[in-house]
Amino acid sequence: MTALLTLDKVSRRFDALWAVRDVNLTVEKGELLGLIGPNGAGKSTLFNLIAGALLPSGGEIVFDGQNVTTWKSHQIARIGIARTFQIPKPYRQLSVVENVMLTAFQHNHAVRAARELAVRSLNDVGLQDYVDAPVTTLTVGLLKRLEVARALALQPKLVLFDEIMAGLTPTEVGVMTKFIAELPARGITVVWVEHVLHAIMRTATRIVVLNRGELIANGKPADIAKDPAVIKAYLGEELSLA
Amino acid sequence: MSTLGQLVLSGIFLGGIYALMSMGLTLVFGVLRVVNFAHGEFLMVAMYGAWAITFYLGLNPYIAAIAVVPAMFLFGALVHRVMIAPALDKPHLVVVFATMGLSIFMQNVALMAMTADLWDVPPMFARSVTIGPFYFKAELLIGFAVTIVCTILLQWLIRATYLGKAIRATVQDGEAAMLMGVPIPRIFLITFAGGSALVGIAACVMMPLFSVFPTVGLNFVLIAFVIVVLGGMGSIEGALLGGICIGVVQSLSGYYVAPAYGQMFYFILFLLVMIFRPNGFLGQKGAANIGINE
Amino acid sequence: MMPRRGSRVSVFELALLAVFGVLAIAVLPPTMQDIAVLTFLWAGLALAWNLAGGYAGLISFGHAAFFGIGAYASTILFVNLGLTPWIGIWIGGLIAGAAGAILAVICARLRGPFFILSTLAASEVVRIAALNWATLTGGPEGLSIPPVPGLANMVFASKDAYVIMMLVFLVAVFAFTKWLEGSRYGYYLFAVRDDADAASAAGVNPLLVRTVAMALSAGITGIGGSLFAQYFLYLDPTFMISPELSFQFALLAAVGGLGSAVGPVLGSFLITPMSELLRAYLGNHAAGLHLVIYSGLLIVVMLYFPGGIAGALARLSGGRGKR
Repeated sequence: MTALLTLDKVSRRFDALWAVRDVNLTVEKGELLGLIGPNGAGKSTLFNLIAGALLPSGGEIVFDGQNVTTWKSHQIARIGIARTFQIPKPYRQLSVVENVMLTAFQHNHAVRAARELAVRSLNDVGLQDYVDAPVTTLTVGLLKRLEVARALALQPKLVLFDEIMAGLTPTEVGVMTKFIAELPARGITVVWVEHVLHAIMRTATRIVVLNRGELIANGKPADIAKDPAVIKAYLGEELSLA
Repeated sequence: MSTLGQLVLSGIFLGGIYALMSMGLTLVFGVLRVVNFAHGEFLMVAMYGAWAITFYLGLNPYIAAIAVVPAMFLFGALVHRVMIAPALDKPHLVVVFATMGLSIFMQNVALMAMTADLWDVPPMFARSVTIGPFYFKAELLIGFAVTIVCTILLQWLIRATYLGKAIRATVQDGEAAMLMGVPIPRIFLITFAGGSALVGIAACVMMPLFSVFPTVGLNFVLIAFVIVVLGGMGSIEGALLGGICIGVVQSLSGYYVAPAYGQMFYFILFLLVMIFRPNGFLGQKGAANIGINE
Repeated sequence: MMPRRGSRVSVFELALLAVFGVLAIAVLPPTMQDIAVLTFLWAGLALAWNLAGGYAGLISFGHAAFFGIGAYASTILFVNLGLTPWIGIWIGGLIAGAAGAILAVICARLRGPFFILSTLAASEVVRIAALNWATLTGGPEGLSIPPVPGLANMVFASKDAYVIMMLVFLVAVFAFTKWLEGSRYGYYLFAVRDDADAASAAGVNPLLVRTVAMALSAGITGIGGSLFAQYFLYLDPTFMISPELSFQFALLAAVGGLGSAVGPVLGSFLITPMSELLRAYLGNHAAGLHLVIYSGLLIVVMLYFPGGIAGALARLSGGRGKR
């Protein structure tokens, strides 16, 4: 079975600094892959490379059989990869539903159809009470849900979550975790960059760990938690992660 | 060949004066991230001030600077308080339109008060200064000298004083500067008012060389924009370099090409810079990407 | 801040425009009809400017270049080649639209003040070219259209006909704008304006969207320029391609309210008659006073009512849940 997403020796440098170096990664269909690592590990860079927001300095990215290495973010979105933003980026002068309609338009050109899909997406994430509200009335937690709704309205094959838990209360984290865990069952593969470790370690089917731009571990959450290299990268001493 | 030399040198000297006129603009651009579309009118008003003091008090524009420069500082502070500061957290177009409106407002108030006539100050020196095979108006050389002095003083201010460091920090990363305790609102005020004062100095050295009339600002503001863009937003040395470039381009094209097309040259130069090096020669990377995603 | 958007011209809005049209023709004396002609034309042009400036977030102070390109194109075709303006205006619009697309591509990476300044510079280049390319444009002496009335010439003896022509232009542009607002492409415009990165992540190509917006805006402005040429019967670069004219389009849209169709129309309906009347009554006594008032108004509106008149009205009428 060919992987949905393949990264082959992907690298990215900024002047003299290699933010990401020779990363080899495959993501199978139906996986819920977690990407973790300490601060400055290069997670954001890797994320943006996959999302088309950055151009790799080296290596290849193949998605669903297509070489998308040099593709820009709008082309990546059109081929079925959706992404959220770590700091939510809503369209400030539009309403909540209009924010989601933008993404819904990708596969539903008619305004009415796009709106229907958008409303369903909002129901999905629990924002049904805010459909026509101006997006500026939403709190951070709700804006994060909006990010998810927007991503899902793309009807994507793969969703990239960028630290979606940042800024959420423990209750909200619980709700969001449960939601994300159910996505593979709906046919949506997930790649999830996250700092809030307990959420991701419990839900991911597989974890990869990045440190200083390089992949240092790749395996089941339970194994990763015990991996000495990972522990050292995070904490510099022996402590349990799980 | 001495014609070429003459042209290039006068271009350099005049360019320096253009640079002086643009330094306030580049600082405001770099620190506050706003374009003051009324910049040319600040120059115009300062020139009228210099002219009036010369005319009514029998002095000369250089001495007039004693009054004009502080007055321009206060004027700049006033405009900042009333118009710029409140607009900073609003969408970008507010500042754009407000300063554009101010520009037209000032042009027409000047028109009503001073009429459209051109006013000059009487020449102060009987003849030009001769340097080798070249000759230059003394006022031109004085203007250039003032520019160099101001550049050196500004550089010292920016490198050696706390204010200068604060300004540099704000240019590089306003948010970080604020978190470090830099009093951003005061820095903004001082920069804007200071930029206005710089324009005042420029006006005093320009008055002996140019006539003043209500729309004189329009001619110079476009030059100033080109200089700021060439030299890089926020860079004093860049403004000097850019000014000298423009001065030379204008001098040469005015002589060798039809004067009418001369103006077109620096607009095309502007567009070329915008396309290929939007950060200018000495500006910082990414400067041209400010605006929406601040 | 934004008034309610809709995709269809409401019956009320159409009725209002029809009323204005009838009034303008039946009631106004010919001197006032000039004001009506200009009010309708500038309203249409402010709407066109708004497509780029308000909807796409591309604030341009160089639109007079498109106005001039359209006007000169159709006039040159008419005067030199005898091509009827009924076709000429569309050719002028196409050329202006192409110029707009080129400008958008050239300035693709520029934001904020850099973009605005580039539009100014580009417009000045066009103006100076027009001023000096005398063989094509007649240079500073300008071009005249022979005042020979006739339908095929698009030159009319009675002011009524011009009033109707400009009103039709306004209604057409207004209807187009409203339709665009509610269409998928309209949403793309707003999204790219509000957050181009997020729009990219939604599959929208910001460069393409901006280029098409600029092309449409420029093309319609060019058509307006041609219509103006047919009315004024004289073109000269110093007026037609001036920064003052560019600024006027922007001013009308901004004071009226960016980001909605009704805003620029309100802006023109309020400011154009006031400006023309002020200029007529005060022009000789206090040259510049009307502009002092004009610009003072702009400053006040910008600082206290950034949504323009339309935005303020929307807030007054209970601001249906909008900020």
